[in-house]
Amino acid sequence: MTLTALLLTTLFEPITLASATALDATVPLVGFFEALVDFLAPETLASVVVNGLAKAALYIMLAAGLTLIFGLMGVLNFAHGSLTMIGAYLGGLVMVLLVGSATGSLGRLALFFVAIVVVFGLLIALGGVLEVGLIRRLYDRPPIYQILLTFGVTLTLDELARIVVAFYGLQPISDWQAALATKPAILTQSLPLGPINASGLAGFQILAGVVTVAGIYGFLTQTRYGLYIRAGSEDTEMAQALGIDVRRTFTVVFALGAGIAGIAGVFLMWDPRWGASVPLAAETLLPAFVVVIVGGLGTFRGTVVAGLLVGLVDASMTWWFQNAVNFTGLPQMTIFLILVLMLIVKPQGIFGVEEVGGH
Amino acid sequence: MYDVLVNSPVGAEMTAILPQVTTMVTVFYFALFAMSFDFISGYTGYLSFGHAAFYGAGAYAVVLAANGKVPLVGPETPFMLLLLVAGLLAAVLAVLIGAVSFRLTGVYFAMITLGFSQVLYVFVRDWDYVGSNPRDGVAVPGGVSGFEVGVPGVDALNLAIGRLAGDSVALGFVEFTGTGVSYYMVGLVVLVCYFAMQRIIHSPFGRVMIAIRENEERAKAVGYNTFRYKLGAFAISAFFAGVAGGLLAGFKRSVAPEGTFYFLVAGDALLASIIGGFGTLAGPLFGRLFDESVREFLSKSGEGGGLLPWLRDTLGEGVLATELYNGLTVGGTIETFLNGHAALYVGIVFVLFVLFVPDGLLGTVRQRVGGPVGKHLPAHLRRYLR
Repeated sequence: MTLTALLLTTLFEPITLASATALDATVPLVGFFEALVDFLAPETLASVVVNGLAKAALYIMLAAGLTLIFGLMGVLNFAHGSLTMIGAYLGGLVMVLLVGSATGSLGRLALFFVAIVVVFGLLIALGGVLEVGLIRRLYDRPPIYQILLTFGVTLTLDELARIVVAFYGLQPISDWQAALATKPAILTQSLPLGPINASGLAGFQILAGVVTVAGIYGFLTQTRYGLYIRAGSEDTEMAQALGIDVRRTFTVVFALGAGIAGIAGVFLMWDPRWGASVPLAAETLLPAFVVVIVGGLGTFRGTVVAGLLVGLVDASMTWWFQNAVNFTGLPQMTIFLILVLMLIVKPQGIFGVEEVGGH
Repeated sequence: MYDVLVNSPVGAEMTAILPQVTTMVTVFYFALFAMSFDFISGYTGYLSFGHAAFYGAGAYAVVLAANGKVPLVGPETPFMLLLLVAGLLAAVLAVLIGAVSFRLTGVYFAMITLGFSQVLYVFVRDWDYVGSNPRDGVAVPGGVSGFEVGVPGVDALNLAIGRLAGDSVALGFVEFTGTGVSYYMVGLVVLVCYFAMQRIIHSPFGRVMIAIRENEERAKAVGYNTFRYKLGAFAISAFFAGVAGGLLAGFKRSVAPEGTFYFLVAGDALLASIIGGFGTLAGPLFGRLFDESVREFLSKSGEGGGLLPWLRDTLGEGVLATELYNGLTVGGTIETFLNGHAALYVGIVFVLFVLFVPDGLLGTVRQRVGGPVGKHLPAHLRRYLR
């Protein structure tokens, strides 16, 4: 077992061997300065950046829905991770069901988009039901109750997922090999890009991240609902006074946020570092919180910047762990340290304003 | 008490409904943790989502001391002193965390405490000083005998706790098993801690805490240095959380990062507080009892009580083998939904409580009665007796 594989199996839930990382660490512990020189070598730095961008794309996708929901409604959605987890399972299910009819990489990629559309639709429905059925009742209570309620929803959804998984015997082990295996061959290979080796999956994830960011940005700036959302984030009461149906906007935003969480789940399902599993709910929720808070609660721009920051830091810390520092938890711990430091230095986040949400 | 009920004519039903003694011990120490969480979050209004850090610090302090890895505190230190050390360690930690965290409020406060506790969680989980395999947790080495609750130095007043290593005691014709002794001894510590916290809440200090919850600006305007009060309350709360963690380590004799430092542990305390009644100190105890009872009643896999074995015994083979849908039998359905999936029901119950019983069990009762139950119960009883 290489060190990389060891790291990946210990850092995240036991998943397959690391074929996706371009970094292959065989270097034992060396002095700090030697490691720094190694780290600053152009090839290393470039592959770290590529890995970081891929991670950043995932983080942004994880956090985008959370940001939208918090920005408009002031609801910190603890169930977000569960929605991602459900998205991962549903995406995997669709892929496994459809993959027999696909030949070649392009066919599978096309089916992947079918899976995304299906999951997006299903989770929008789920999000809508949650908002109308539960969260709507709580807008006139202190914000703490929304945290509590979504926390309860998380427990319920996770356990339901666990029952379904156990009932159909989906996973004797915590990753779902069948879903992972639907990944086309293109994405498992590593593509030589000049001096650096980038894995196909990383490129695909970066591309997907760019599309997601562009899509949400377009939605916020170009559509009527985007206008409502931006207005509602600024001042809910004024928006209401100007004739915007805020209640319906809330439902739409919550449903959309859930849908985006689901899409992020579908992407995670293909990533050997994550895979579809029930603990995914808690594992993705915390980084998503970090990204949202570091960027400034409720600002989409901040989320993108913070996602990039966290992704790059994560990738470089992973490199440091693999090559120089003997501490497994280094990347994870650094992510939470970023959160703590940001809250100490500038509590409202990179682009945050003093007060967000509110009704 | 438990034995009497279980051996009564309705024994089978009672076994199904009543929690077991072992469960009650865990209810006690976890309730103490939930109380300490309620002490800061319910009374000052600051949601400390990273409270598990203090619970974990206390638990690890005791286990590491028993392993001889804590300087100045060797494996031979009396357990009561260890509990004190665990509490003080957690309190120091709380002052450090609180000093930066209390500049924030609301969601931001919840998030920064969560951040701190996750940093500690990852750190302890991967720190090889803790044990050879820190991820799986650490156990108390076999050489250390049971942890004794009582006055240090006076043997006659000490009783060891623990499921396996505890004392069993015969008093006249009543005999207590090891678990039974643990039940009373852990209960004793929790009771003392409860009264201590109760005393603080009803002191002028506690009044200021409530003033901060109701309107911090006004409390400031009246002239209180709210920052100091919050920090003090946080440290006191962490002290008792540390003691609770120490009790956990003393009873279980092993700790794992998932059961102590992980943020969902604080989530469980939150659950207990909300169900029992947020802002009522005794509430978390009832909340945790309710929570554990639901878990045990609905999801016992077989041994002991619970709905599942009761249904198995009562329904009979014929009903159990009846096919419902596509090869799924009644028995299979019951197994699927009741075996080990209590979190589902706890989650649903929790959502219902948040929606419909925001004051929790004890809070609602208090509202009905018109004040703390202890104060008004005698009057009510007298009315009925007359």
